[in-house]
Amino acid sequence: MTETPNTQVEIIEENAPLDDNSRQGATPVVVERPKTKRLGRSRVYARRFFRNTAAVIGLVIFVLLTIWSLVGKLFTKWGIADIDWDADPLSGPPSAAHFFGTKAGFDVYAQTVHGLSRSLIIGVTVSIASTLLAAFIGASAAYFGGWFEKVILWIIHFLLVIPGFLILALITNGNGGKITALIIAMVSLGWMYSARIIWSLSISIREREYVMAARYMGVSGWKTVWRHLIPNIGSLLVLQFALGIVSAIMSETGLSFLGFGIKPPDVSLGAMIGDGTNLVVSYPWAFYFPAGVLTALTISSAFVADGLRDALDPNSAAGGRA
Amino acid sequence: MIKYLLKRIVNWMIMIVLATNLTYFLAWAYLKPRSNLDLRADQGKRIPPDQIDRMLDRYNLNDQVPIFTRWWTWTKDIVLRWNWGSSLEGEAVVHQVSYRIWVSMNLVLLATVLSTILGIALGVYTASRQYKLGDRIFQFLGIVTMNIPTPVAALLVVTGAIAINDAAGHRIFYVTGAFNQDVHGFLPSLIDRAQHIILPTLSLMIVGTAGTHFLQRTLLLDNIAADYVRTARAKGLKKAQAVRKHALRTSIIPVATSIAFSIPGMFTGTLMSEKIYGWNGMGAYMVDGLAKNNVHGVVACAAFGALMTAIGAILADLAVVWLDPRVRVS
Repeated sequence: MTETPNTQVEIIEENAPLDDNSRQGATPVVVERPKTKRLGRSRVYARRFFRNTAAVIGLVIFVLLTIWSLVGKLFTKWGIADIDWDADPLSGPPSAAHFFGTKAGFDVYAQTVHGLSRSLIIGVTVSIASTLLAAFIGASAAYFGGWFEKVILWIIHFLLVIPGFLILALITNGNGGKITALIIAMVSLGWMYSARIIWSLSISIREREYVMAARYMGVSGWKTVWRHLIPNIGSLLVLQFALGIVSAIMSETGLSFLGFGIKPPDVSLGAMIGDGTNLVVSYPWAFYFPAGVLTALTISSAFVADGLRDALDPNSAAGGRA
Repeated sequence: MIKYLLKRIVNWMIMIVLATNLTYFLAWAYLKPRSNLDLRADQGKRIPPDQIDRMLDRYNLNDQVPIFTRWWTWTKDIVLRWNWGSSLEGEAVVHQVSYRIWVSMNLVLLATVLSTILGIALGVYTASRQYKLGDRIFQFLGIVTMNIPTPVAALLVVTGAIAINDAAGHRIFYVTGAFNQDVHGFLPSLIDRAQHIILPTLSLMIVGTAGTHFLQRTLLLDNIAADYVRTARAKGLKKAQAVRKHALRTSIIPVATSIAFSIPGMFTGTLMSEKIYGWNGMGAYMVDGLAKNNVHGVVACAAFGALMTAIGAILADLAVVWLDPRVRVS
């Protein structure tokens, strides 16, 4: 699928440092090939990532969408709540004045750009916050063990079982569609799955020598978790963050689609799709533009996440030989 | 083994009870049945407060009564008389749920079972062709379909079905409703139901299959190179036999357990599908209940969601018992 990398890179990558422990293990390669410059960990990851065509295209689309969400509203004079009474018809197809057409006088382009920025803000903040929360809870459960671990695991299990979406809808509906309330609710009901994954990886890290060394040096438990456990699952956290963006955007879309997430006067892509569902035959542009932008956003971020997974996974051969 | 399953069932019952009670208190924190009556003006006059109290008291919906008293009445009614309460309009929740539950259960379970089977098949197919063209194509398709937002996927399916109907000249697929009222007889109504359920199931499957596919692929790849698979090959089994009888058997166990956790996602997908396809199921009831402050209805929906998860988990447990000899022994 991609070009064959030259042998130099190949050899170094096979011995690429996976964590702090194996750094010394990479030295023999340097001895064998004195001219080779040693690659840093992030350089290796970056090279592996950029070898993956789909991931690079995904990244480009994601970056373009982000830029567009920031500057897109400069290209139109309409705001999200403005009604163009002169538009003829009031729900008209795309034209020079309204790039994506109008829906009952509202400019679909302006609303789409605004909705996109809403989706991005929610996706990124929810994902950062819930990944950090998950890292902290998962890693500390693994480190402290005992009844603490049991209780945390039971809570995770319980929260995975309850119909979280229903409770999310209940809370956001009660808060009148405020974006901060939405974000807080989504974080508090969205950390469990990654916490479970992080917990299972942290169990093996708990047994490492450097954690033991920290314990014998008298470093406190929370400090060990923060300084030694969490940094060493960094690559998993990056991946969880990327996947979290997609799932946060998807659940916001679902909520707004059903009328519980973001509410008028604010608009989001989910709410626009919800409105557009009934209009898909008569005014297709009111549905297809927000739906297309949203799908481009979720799929491009998913490809970025997939590329990151391959780049960060030491056993993966997907990026190289194919 | 029976003891093991019984233990699991009891465990799940506790989970359902806890989830339902949690939702009861949360629902009271956010839903205000009183506001329905406060705003309802009769001929320009507001309903007097003591009248409102009486109307709310009739259905145990009065927020002036301490929450634990309300909770106790609600619990007692369920335990003693299987009465899940009523909405403000006096519609009994049990009556509403009694027919809606089958509508949604059909959809959730059919979509879950089909997407699991398809996902496992795709996982096996792609894992035995790792990094070859077939694997690459399904990998790509999987990432795309898994990340299409559910409403968009459903609308695309609807548009496609309408195009097929138009091309065929008569209705093959129905895009709204769960069944036709005026179809009678066993076979005609079976066909009628199938014509209605195929599209919602398809849209749920589009989003739901890829997760199982990727999980099965990863797990099978971990096992396909294991010593015991090589031994099986050395004994003379064909590759397909070795994969199916040895590698798949161990790697399917975590997939089976993960199905339980995919059901809440399916349930969420059902909420959206029911809106798009105009089904009168639990999802529609929940959305309606949230808008109309129907506390008891919303709680019943939460209980239904938890029950679905429990059924999925117990089915998964049965599958594990059947697949994994270690469980059968203990």
